[in-house]
Amino acid sequence: MRMARDRKGQFIIIAALMISIMIVSISTVIYGTVTYYRQERWEEYVTIVDSIKTGSYNLLQVGLANYTQTLNSMVLRDYFNQWMRDVRKAYPGFGVDLSYSLASGVHSAYGLSLNYSLGLNRTWNQPVSFSASNATVSLDLASVGLTGYNFSSHVFLKTSIRDAIWFSKSSKRYVLVYVSVDREGPEVVMNLQKSNFREVKLGGVPQSFSVKRYYHKDYSSFIYEIRIDSISALPSSVEFTLSDTRGIETVSYTKNIQQSSD
Amino acid sequence: MEGLMTKTKRTKNQRSRKGQMRVVEAVMASLIVVSAVAFLYVFAATPSSQPQETSELEKIGHNVLHDMHEQRLLTRFVYNSEWANLTSGLFVSLPTNVYFNLSIYDTNGNSISHPLILYGNEQIFDSSKAVASVTYIVPGYQANYSPRVLVLKLVRG
Repeated sequence: MRMARDRKGQFIIIAALMISIMIVSISTVIYGTVTYYRQERWEEYVTIVDSIKTGSYNLLQVGLANYTQTLNSMVLRDYFNQWMRDVRKAYPGFGVDLSYSLASGVHSAYGLSLNYSLGLNRTWNQPVSFSASNATVSLDLASVGLTGYNFSSHVFLKTSIRDAIWFSKSSKRYVLVYVSVDREGPEVVMNLQKSNFREVKLGGVPQSFSVKRYYHKDYSSFIYEIRIDSISALPSSVEFTLSDTRGIETVSYTKNIQQSSD
Repeated sequence: MEGLMTKTKRTKNQRSRKGQMRVVEAVMASLIVVSAVAFLYVFAATPSSQPQETSELEKIGHNVLHDMHEQRLLTRFVYNSEWANLTSGLFVSLPTNVYFNLSIYDTNGNSISHPLILYGNEQIFDSSKAVASVTYIVPGYQANYSPRVLVLKLVRG
C-alpha cells in the first residue's frame, strides 16, 4: 500500500518534469523559428537585387544611347561584360554573379517588329522610326542561396511623323511637321525641348525651326509641332534627328508632304 | 467500541498524511514548472533594438536612392557634379531626424572628389553605435559607361 502511494507521488513529479522539458523544448524551437529572420540580413539582399535591377535597366539606356550616337553595335555586349565585373566588385562578400542574354531576332512589341542584334535595334529614316535595346539578366547571390533570379529589361524610343504639311497660301509660306514621341511602357514623352530636336532638314538641307508642344485633339495625342518658315516650294522630304533626355536618338524621314492652301 | 475509535483515528491520520503529501507534490510540481518558465526568459531576452534600427534606416536610404535613380535625378546630380542639388534631394527625401553622409567611389574603391554631401555633425557618424550604410551602384549617364558606387551613411539624430 505504502509502495503504491510512493510510486504515485513520483509519477506526478516525473510528469511535471516531462511537461517542463516539453515546454522548454517546444518554446526554444518556436523562438528559434520566429526569430530566424533576425539573423539574416534580408533587407540588404533585397536592396542589392533592387539596385542591380535598376542599374541593369540604366545600363540598357546608356548602351542604347551610345549605340544611336556612335553606331557601335558591340557596345551593349561590352558594357554588360564590364557591368558583371563591376557589380561583383561593388558588393564584395555577397557572392554576386551576374549573367546576361542579349535579345536576338525579331520580337513584337508596341505593334512593331523589332529585329534585335546583340540586344540592339535601330529602325530609322522612316515616318515611324525607333531605337530599342533588350536584355535578360540572371542574378545569383551565393551568400543567401539565391540562384537564377531572372529579369528582362528593355528600352525603347519611337518617333512618329503624324503629318507634314506645306502651307502655301499664307504670306509666309511654311512647313508644319506633327510628331508624337513614345518610350517604353508605352509612355508618351512630353518633356522634350527644342534642343532635343537636333537637326531638321527639308529636301536634305538643314533648316532653322521652332518647336511647340501641346495636346492635339485630332491626333488624340501629345504632339510636338515643328515649324519651318519661309519655304517657298513644296519640299521633297522632311527629316529630323531627335535625342531624348536619356541621349537616345532616332532619325525620322518622310516624303509624304501634303500641301495646304488654307 | 474502543477498537472502532482507534481504527477511525488511524484512518484519519493516514488521510491527513496523504493530503499533506499531495500538497508537497503539488508545490514541487509547481516549482518545477515555474523554474522551467523562468528558464525560458533567458532565451526570450529581447534583442537590442540596434539591428532593427539600422535595418530600418538602410531601407529608407535605399528607397531614397532608388527613387532618385528611377527619376534619373541621381545620375544627373552625380555625373554633372550637381552636389548642392544632390544634398538638397537627399535632405528633402529623408526624414528630418535622419542625418546622412554620402561618399562616392569608382569601382576600384577610389574616392571621387566632391565636396561634403552631409547633413548633421560629421562626428555623430563616428560616435553613434547605430550607423546604417547603404551601397548603391549606378552604371553611367547618357551614352557613357562610367560606374559610380555610392555609400550613404545614415544615423538618427
